[in-house]
Amino acid sequence: MSFIGDVLSEAIRLLSQFGTELRGVLWLTLVVSLLATAIGVALGVPLGTALGLGRFRGRTPLLVAVNTGMGMPPVLAGLLILLLLWRDGPLGSWGILFTPQAMVIAQSLLAIPIAAGVTAGAVGGLSPVTREQLFALGLGKTAAGWIAVREAWPGVAAAVAAAFGRVVSEVGAVLIVGGNIEGETRVLTTAIVQEARQAQFGAALALGIILMVLALMINGALTWLQLRERVH
Amino acid sequence: MAATSRTGALMSALVAENLRFPEDGSIVSVARLSVEAGGRLVVFGPNGAGKTTLLRLLAGVVPGGPTVVAAYQPQHSHVFRGSAGWNLGLGLNPEQAAWARTLADRFGLDPALYEGPARALSGGERQRLSLARTLARSEPWVLLDEPLAALDIADRMTVAAALVDSLNGKGAIIVTHDREEAAVLGERVAVMVGGTILQEGPVAEVFSLPVDDRVARAVGVANVLDGVTGHREGPLCSIRVGPLQVWGLGDLAEGVGARVLFGAEAVTLFPGHEAAAGSARNRWAGTVSVLRETGRLIEVIVDAGSPIAALITPGSQEALNLQPGAPVIVAVKATAARIIPR
Repeated sequence: MSFIGDVLSEAIRLLSQFGTELRGVLWLTLVVSLLATAIGVALGVPLGTALGLGRFRGRTPLLVAVNTGMGMPPVLAGLLILLLLWRDGPLGSWGILFTPQAMVIAQSLLAIPIAAGVTAGAVGGLSPVTREQLFALGLGKTAAGWIAVREAWPGVAAAVAAAFGRVVSEVGAVLIVGGNIEGETRVLTTAIVQEARQAQFGAALALGIILMVLALMINGALTWLQLRERVH
Repeated sequence: MAATSRTGALMSALVAENLRFPEDGSIVSVARLSVEAGGRLVVFGPNGAGKTTLLRLLAGVVPGGPTVVAAYQPQHSHVFRGSAGWNLGLGLNPEQAAWARTLADRFGLDPALYEGPARALSGGERQRLSLARTLARSEPWVLLDEPLAALDIADRMTVAAALVDSLNGKGAIIVTHDREEAAVLGERVAVMVGGTILQEGPVAEVFSLPVDDRVARAVGVANVLDGVTGHREGPLCSIRVGPLQVWGLGDLAEGVGARVLFGAEAVTLFPGHEAAAGSARNRWAGTVSVLRETGRLIEVIVDAGSPIAALITPGSQEALNLQPGAPVIVAVKATAARIIPR
């Protein structure tokens, strides 16, 4: 037990200090994950709403693609973005490989299908009565989609939470396109990998606890929004 | 002929042909449906007749229908998350939204409810809201599926009258399975059974002169009597039903098996044994055997050798002092009865 006890006390000591380096890692994690979630939601929720509501050509293959994308391994997403952003790659001229921008792009690629897939499920699950009334309002596609999102709000909030959970917890994509450069592209998950590899278990656990607290806070806020009955 | 609605939309007759759903027409198969501009057609029929599907075809909810520029209100009024007032204005421009509030007021929706969540509204309140919103739209046609079904019986006729008044020249196709609603809401009625329209015409004519026994059953005409045809006289022919000779509209040869149909509301009752004044060709003496309340009216079954059903108001029952066993004269105009082959 003394091993676990030592690790735990070291973790608590580091947490109580909460040094500059740790703050930097936490800040970058928050910025990258929230930006990737925002992009994922901004693109994925409309896509999921269209998939959930609409009957259009190409809907089925798109739905298959989204569902497959929900299970895409982060390392593969990282690899794809790496190939795109590589010096000689199609977007190599951007020169953003191994920067937080590249990490945001890679994580967005993971967030979009999750946001779209969960939204499609929530909107598609609206009752036939709700959908028929929505049709009967005779609204344009955007306005109808917006009301559908409001109506399926608890499910759409779950889509946001799932997208955030996906990006904040993954390590493969940010590691490949970010490179885990200390002070530049190191985030909580890659830092945990680093510390664990060097047998710095106290530091790794401290980072893990921060990650969990972060996820708890974001999801707590989302759950509160999810449960609040929207009136206006 | 074209008329112009208050919103300026050019109106023309609605004609839809070959309405089928699904493609084999197993649920709905209507060869032709037409309503003149500004006309009110009630689609009437029993549950499962395909009325709702027909309306959904016209509204474009299910594929395969024509393109009708119509405001559609489905059978179940759903309200969305948000205030009642917000729901009332959904899909409407500010001018229409103001008109929707006026209509909602007419339909008896309390404006004090607007600020509250729409989900707190009762079924009847939701229906009034949806109806107001639908009628406030600019389309020259409205398609309404059971628009009064969620209302209390006491309010239905008031709202029905307000609905008719609020159409402002728009045409309407209204689905209902309620005879009284049909009579108030419709100028014409199309009786739908088994996915097809069996008869279409002015409400009074269809309800009192069903073309066949399927329509008769659908519109709830209580008198369907079988017999053998007798003499003919112009457009009329007679049929012997047990001890009764019944005259009705028909074009049948003598001595064939036939059926006579007439609505319970086409039957007039006179108290006592003496036939009172009147021109009804069919008059039979009988006794009241059963009195039964059916909604707002009372169904009276008279034994005149064959059972004959009549519909009277509670007031008439009191005035005529009708009780089981009381002698009455049953009168039915020949033009209100239809004799068809059997």
